[in-house]
Amino acid sequence: MGVGRYLARRALFLAITFVIAIYVTVVIANGFGKVDEILKAQIYQDLKQAYARNPAYNRLPPEEQARQFNITYNATIEAQGLNEQFLPKTIRYTASALQLKLGRATQLRSGDGSASVSAIIFERLPRSLVLFTVANVIAAVVGIWLGLWMARKALSPFDRGMTVLSVTTFVVPPWVYGILFILVFGFGLKVFPSGGLTSVPPPPPAPLSAAFPPLIAIGLALAGYLANKHVRTKYRLIGYGVMAAAAAVLVAWILAPYDYFKDLEWHMILPATAVAFSVFGSWSYTTRNLVLQVMDEDFVFAARARGLKERDVLSKYVLRTASPPIVTSLALTLAAAWTGAIITETVFNYPGLGALFFEAISLQDAPVVIGLTTMYALLLVVTVFLLDLTYSLLDPRIKALRR
Amino acid sequence: MLGFLILLAVFVPILAPYNVVQAWNDPGAWTNNPKLAAPEWSEIFSGKHLPRTILLASNGEPGGFDKVRISFNVSGQTYTIVVLRKSFSFQFDTFPSEIKLFMTAVFGNATGTQIRVFWDRPDGQEIHLFDGNPSVRAPYENTYSLTGPSFKDPSYAVYSSVRDWLIAKNVTNQTEWASLYPTSGGIYQNPPQTQTMLMGRLNRTILDPETAEVLKGNYSFRIEFSGFTPTDDANARAVVYGTVFGLAGTDYEGRDLLVALLWGAPVALAFGVAGALASVLIQTILGAISGWYGGFIDEFVQRTADFYLIIPTLPILILLGILYHLGILLILFVLVVFGVVGATTKVVRSIVLQVKEEQFIEAARSYGASRSRILFRYILPRVMPYTFALIALTVPAFIFLEASLSFLGLGDPSLPTWGHILGDAYTQGALFASRAYPTGLWWWVFFPAAGIIFTTVAFALLGYAFDKVLNPRLREQ
Repeated sequence: MGVGRYLARRALFLAITFVIAIYVTVVIANGFGKVDEILKAQIYQDLKQAYARNPAYNRLPPEEQARQFNITYNATIEAQGLNEQFLPKTIRYTASALQLKLGRATQLRSGDGSASVSAIIFERLPRSLVLFTVANVIAAVVGIWLGLWMARKALSPFDRGMTVLSVTTFVVPPWVYGILFILVFGFGLKVFPSGGLTSVPPPPPAPLSAAFPPLIAIGLALAGYLANKHVRTKYRLIGYGVMAAAAAVLVAWILAPYDYFKDLEWHMILPATAVAFSVFGSWSYTTRNLVLQVMDEDFVFAARARGLKERDVLSKYVLRTASPPIVTSLALTLAAAWTGAIITETVFNYPGLGALFFEAISLQDAPVVIGLTTMYALLLVVTVFLLDLTYSLLDPRIKALRR
Repeated sequence: MLGFLILLAVFVPILAPYNVVQAWNDPGAWTNNPKLAAPEWSEIFSGKHLPRTILLASNGEPGGFDKVRISFNVSGQTYTIVVLRKSFSFQFDTFPSEIKLFMTAVFGNATGTQIRVFWDRPDGQEIHLFDGNPSVRAPYENTYSLTGPSFKDPSYAVYSSVRDWLIAKNVTNQTEWASLYPTSGGIYQNPPQTQTMLMGRLNRTILDPETAEVLKGNYSFRIEFSGFTPTDDANARAVVYGTVFGLAGTDYEGRDLLVALLWGAPVALAFGVAGALASVLIQTILGAISGWYGGFIDEFVQRTADFYLIIPTLPILILLGILYHLGILLILFVLVVFGVVGATTKVVRSIVLQVKEEQFIEAARSYGASRSRILFRYILPRVMPYTFALIALTVPAFIFLEASLSFLGLGDPSLPTWGHILGDAYTQGALFASRAYPTGLWWWVFFPAAGIIFTTVAFALLGYAFDKVLNPRLREQ
């Protein structure tokens, strides 16, 4: 069986899973028909009230009143598709969800007043995407780096302390850190805003380029740090210079006048930190254990025996071997972070997908719920498939199938 | 840590019986507690002696109101006069949060049954607070808030009494009062805080709640009741609500958060351990079956595990919670159903695949043990130690799932779990600073969050300890 066939099989399986998952969601989102009943009752009530206020209708004889009422009621039910059988209806919903025709929301509206579910979702998608990607990438970088460091100093007090810290921080979900951070940094120290996307009213708009200084600062700092690892001691000054420039950019950004993007980023710091804080532990702990396992292997011993520098052994031999499991957990935590955002975004009042999901559920806006779950499921499926793809390239055992 | 939690879980139900939990949902059970009060010990941060709640019991109870009742007849008309008095000492550095008077009255049908309430201050001043007609007959209580800006209360009468008194004492005048506390249509836009005026030093500072100084000493209530039948009677009790309460403070209904904090421990432990045990054991057995039997069963279990990995569990769970307000046992059941296969199944399967090749299995097979016997008597005992670590590491996940659902208001509505308290705190705005509470209602959020973190961290450390013992590679290098 070749890699192609393996991937095709996985793709088929994932597609089937996706369809079933969407169908389950559609059924639950309709409350096994319960939501329809609620909607029908609501239409009935609304019509009754509308008619009671209509003097012309009140003058009609009772039979005529009932007849008219029934005509309007049935027409409304028909128009909203509420009289359809449960099974065909859910299948129809599933089919259109699979074609990403997400329909129209019953209650929620996007910022510019559109009722289209895809408009509502795509308005919020970038916010969640940016927040959670940034937070998870920071957590991953910090976690892997910390894990490597812990493995290098295995069993030292530093390693023991950081292990306990990692193990204890990653069992706590981000929203719990969120409320504690809001309490401490939002109110106690009053450094960061306690929630929201921007201040109210939002500060004056700024060009998109204003969004980059913090990213540039982080990039420069990383570049400087990495450069220093690969040059001789006397050239280190360059790296330190780059890192100092990063610090300068950061300070300049903090001192710069408050514009829209700075406001946006300022509001993102607390939620991103909360997410990163609850995620980095699993990275550092997994990395440490995997690296320690790989370090026991003979080829690492051989590399050391050849007199290679410890840093090179670690980065070129150990980390490369340990990377497939690390990639797995990166992809899965990223995907899981999306669904986990529901409460974190609610706590921080951050208008992303998670908060939208909660609003939609509270308002029983079934099309939005189905649309969002479809997005989540699609995201997970794509992640898992990409994972399979990466694995088939990284893992020699799957590669061997080719022969 | 774990020992402490288990002790707590065992002793809490003994010390604070379950009826406390039932009382939790009864707002009437907490009327003697101040609302949104910080813990008592928090006064060390402010350096002031903050007011506790002073309960003034009704007549007939020890230390209660003194009562004199006379009934007399003048030209065929009966008059009944009841005078109730109670004094209390107030020695705190700040003002109470609220003062309430509760009166029971027995009276006939004649109109004009009246109560007159007076307030005596340590500086010898007396304020005639208000005159009122009791509307409810005993045993129900007429509640009069002397400070709250509620329309049903005679508090507007108290405001005007206080105003008239201050004007009579030349502390202020009509125009200044009107500019300080503007009214529109007879309703105060920004009602004055009467407790600061009832209990403040009589000088210019009394007009501003920020600058008013507390007048320490003995205050007393005097209540005169007059009725028109021989059986008329009245009784009163009063509560001077403090701004601090107990070890953990109170919430927006005046409920003692310590009760919820303590009860949160056994609930969280029971829920987490039960959920983790059930789901990890099921996953272990399925994983072992999958690894041991192989073939079609293996394929089926593994594909199901993949499927469970893909469906978005939390959104579906929230959906279920909204549509069918689940009790705590049903939530547990649904969580376990969503966790019958998962990561553990895969881990156990890979362990079983290794164990399968070992000699003792070969030996068992050779003397004719059946496949299921080998699975349950030989393989599962070998896998169990790993399972313990996984159970300990899964407990936090269950505790937090329950907390997450409760936080969103989808948990068991009758149980004061930690997540439930956090959710209440969030929806009641404990995370938002207000003028009265510039630091937010930190105690309401901090303690339950600390409780959850403490418990889950205990289990995480336990799991880590197991992991270290069972994974020799992590122990020695």
